[in-house]
Amino acid sequence: MNPKHSMPAFLFALLFVLSSCCDEESCHTKNSTKPTDPSIINVESSESSEIRQSLVRINSTIQVWSASQPWDKSAPKKRRALGALLTGNRVLTTAEMAADTTYIELENADNTRIIPAKVVAIDYEANLALLEPDNGDTESFFEDLKPLSLGSAAKIGDRVDVWQLEDNGMPIVTEAVIQSVDIVSSFAKGHFFLTYEAKGSMQSASNSFTVPVIRNGRLLGLLSSYDSKDQIVDIIAPEIIQAFIADTSDDNYVGFPSLGIGISSTVDPNFRDWLKLSDDLGGLYVTKIRKDSAAQKAGLEKGDVIININGRAIGRRGYYTDEQYGRLYWSHLIRGSLKQGDTVDLTILRSGEQKEITATLTRPEEPLIARYTYDQAPVYLIKGGLIFQELTATYLKAFGKDWQTKAPLNLLDIMMTPEDYEEGRNKIVFLSAVIPTPATTGYERLRNFIINKVNGKTIADISSLIEAFEQPGADQLHTIEFAEGPPRTIYLDANMANTIDTELLKRGIPALSKE
Amino acid sequence: MIRTLIRLLPIQTVSILLFSLQITGAQQTIKNPLAPIEPSSIASLPQETYRSVVRIEVATQVPNYLEPWKAGRFSGGIGTGFLIGPNLFLTNAHVVSNARRLLITMHGSARKHPAKILHIAHDCDLALLEVDDFTPFIGLRHFEIGGVPKLESQVRVIGYPVGGNRISVTRGVVSRIDFNTYSHSRSDQHLVVQIDAAINPGNSGGPVLQNGKVVGVAFQGLRTADNTGYMIPTPVVRRFLTDIKDGRYDKYVDLGISDFPMFNPAMQKKFGLTPTSPGVLVAAVTPDGPCDGVLQKDDILTAINNNAVDAAGNILIDGEKVNMNEIVERKFSGDQVTLSVIRDGETMDVICTLKPFPPSQMYAVQYDVKPRYTTFAGLVFQPLDRNLYSAHNLTNTRVRRLFSHYLDEAIFKEREDIVILTRILSDPINTHLNGHIGTAIESINGTAVSSLRHAHKLLHPEQLPEFFVIRCEGIERPIIIPGDKAASASKRTQNSYGITSPANLD
Repeated sequence: MNPKHSMPAFLFALLFVLSSCCDEESCHTKNSTKPTDPSIINVESSESSEIRQSLVRINSTIQVWSASQPWDKSAPKKRRALGALLTGNRVLTTAEMAADTTYIELENADNTRIIPAKVVAIDYEANLALLEPDNGDTESFFEDLKPLSLGSAAKIGDRVDVWQLEDNGMPIVTEAVIQSVDIVSSFAKGHFFLTYEAKGSMQSASNSFTVPVIRNGRLLGLLSSYDSKDQIVDIIAPEIIQAFIADTSDDNYVGFPSLGIGISSTVDPNFRDWLKLSDDLGGLYVTKIRKDSAAQKAGLEKGDVIININGRAIGRRGYYTDEQYGRLYWSHLIRGSLKQGDTVDLTILRSGEQKEITATLTRPEEPLIARYTYDQAPVYLIKGGLIFQELTATYLKAFGKDWQTKAPLNLLDIMMTPEDYEEGRNKIVFLSAVIPTPATTGYERLRNFIINKVNGKTIADISSLIEAFEQPGADQLHTIEFAEGPPRTIYLDANMANTIDTELLKRGIPALSKE
Repeated sequence: MIRTLIRLLPIQTVSILLFSLQITGAQQTIKNPLAPIEPSSIASLPQETYRSVVRIEVATQVPNYLEPWKAGRFSGGIGTGFLIGPNLFLTNAHVVSNARRLLITMHGSARKHPAKILHIAHDCDLALLEVDDFTPFIGLRHFEIGGVPKLESQVRVIGYPVGGNRISVTRGVVSRIDFNTYSHSRSDQHLVVQIDAAINPGNSGGPVLQNGKVVGVAFQGLRTADNTGYMIPTPVVRRFLTDIKDGRYDKYVDLGISDFPMFNPAMQKKFGLTPTSPGVLVAAVTPDGPCDGVLQKDDILTAINNNAVDAAGNILIDGEKVNMNEIVERKFSGDQVTLSVIRDGETMDVICTLKPFPPSQMYAVQYDVKPRYTTFAGLVFQPLDRNLYSAHNLTNTRVRRLFSHYLDEAIFKEREDIVILTRILSDPINTHLNGHIGTAIESINGTAVSSLRHAHKLLHPEQLPEFFVIRCEGIERPIIIPGDKAASASKRTQNSYGITSPANLD
């Protein structure tokens, strides 16, 4: 599921952060200026109060975990946004606002009331989060506020209003016109959801990080990014929000389903001839099937060509014709239209013959390498100064912008071909760094070695590593075996390591492990 | 050397400058030269000495690894050389690499004498030249090769660096003697002497003198530091001169092992050693290398030819602690070394017969060779080596992995070449391919590709298949070229992209 849209979406997000995201300081210095753009409307007072009653300011404090010192959190950052008030005293915002938050508070438009909040549900893939008050005077906070109701799908050409608030509480309404509909990845990379792209000239105002978009007095969607150069607003579509809200109705948030495949286009005529694909067919070539995915359970195989999904013909580049939006990428048929447990009918071509397959959609299993780790502390163990961690994409991405060439080659290889490493492992445990101690003398430069066994036991995850360290050899030495070398094996004095661990706790490391 | 390679590759960045003066296009002329140093101002060196230091003018043709069918770039440069015997001029290999024409000029003379290469050793950056007619040089002093200069002792560097056309002399002090990378091949480490004399482009190949004897050959510097010049010390020079005595240069030999320091108390305890015990851990033995079957992983190497090896893998030679490889450095192909080891608690001596290890050439920059390639329907295939790696931006994880584990995972046993699809020359037959460039070819029509020659053969079978199915490593979607259209597409792309020769397999 990797259409080509990932790059522009990523850029948009960046641009938005640069142009209108503001930390607390800079926001307060900005004065309200008289809007000159005709699309920015001076709001009549009755409508104005309505807007003010349905918008809630969100202030969040965000802290991420350190990749190199997994027990530490980075310095806190502040982020401010606007949320849409929904029924039941709940506030809708983006996952970007609520992920990795140490503290969230809600504030009314007039800045007269503040209440601490907590996350009810969060979907990093669809970039949505639902907040509610957490202790405090809920009743008086919501006293004169008016929830928004959810709107329905829009069409290309529809006019929508983007709602913002000035510092002083005055609303700004920017009109925008929906120009196109696409599937875009807006937060967790590689997860693509229905998004409206609307043209409109927004100004930066306080709490502008993510803001509600309204159509006919109802909440149409949430703005996920704004490209100030092209003046394009990305709006998370109402179908996605509705599915998210529906999923939050019970305590068990499930998330959006997936088929679990990777695909390639079938535009190349030579490739089509080889596949025996006739010209009247489109088709997507299946290049990858995730372990334990819906696709695998349904019997889909690498090399199959998907030509039809739930009765919709799939084109050579993966687009189908949607009644509402026109040409849309196929993944919307799965992720944006169905939920876990639903079935999907696939027509495939295998070795030149058509076949029908029915898959029951699931949530993907936790992969060998977690693709994102929002709100999750790194899982680690310190032993005598050796720091072991479970490998995540977050760790690799900490190598910077060029992480795909800068990160250690052996770890990148697992990311690219996890199937080669899955045997006997739930996670990849690796030696991430070495704190120089008397027990680690000579090992200071070892890092990024994948662990195979400790004290003879196969290491499947940090928990099994902790267990393995409980039984050193008869000589009171731990034996640590790496997947590659040199060296392939190192030893650690068990008693010395225990003494050092106690010492490390005294020196301020909060915990020797996190499972 | 194999030992260091494994840890350094492939992301090693070399910031070392080679000091031959590169001139592209017309001969460089400096209108207002700085005041030349008068030779007479240095009392201890007679004028005669300078006449044995020659200026080498090189015209080169540098192969093009991006478009291997092209002639390459014509360019040139200036370096220094010196007379060490009858019609024997010593210089750096990098001064005369890829040379098409060599001219030697004597100090104080305008005559240019055509010369050619007698022997060239890229792994230690040395070369021997001879002139077509030695008569004008008869009677000139032949430099004597001396020993390794002591730390802090003074040396002088003679050569033809930038800043003027006449000879230049600088003085400096020996500031470090160490093992270091020779940036000409990028994969070899030998003894290097660092001096604080200014060594500049053009100095390369010039003699470094002490008490009238040659104690080194100036060859490289550091881009990031001032007043650091490096010279090739005489043990390396002598080894080169001995190696070529049989008329052929056989290259350096290596043990082909990875060692790991025996510093850790738990490690010492495991192997029954004390903190003062000699011996370094053999962490890996290169498959098919000289020590394969002689040493084993987890041996403790305690001595080489009765020189005790310490826990860090160092030995004591002439009162200096140097890396144990220094013993092997001075040996030749076919020589034997006695290795004392502790294996499973037992002490024993084993004998290793040193031999060259051709697969390690994967990591050495190649010179004086035409790039190998083959083309097919607009697809360009080239074998992976250091030159290719530097020329193309190869970021594919699988390719990088094959490159860095080519030796230690014995990939060379199955794959003489790692064949890379380096380029797709656009043609109607291949316009819809993407994502395949820069990947390694796994198979062609179901047969695993073992070398470039093999790939070429598979792409030009006697019987045309309906489709050529080319699979690239890590990419599920194969490249499909219809069999009946391949030949015309090959011809078309050769014409439109000016490929005069569709393949070079040797």
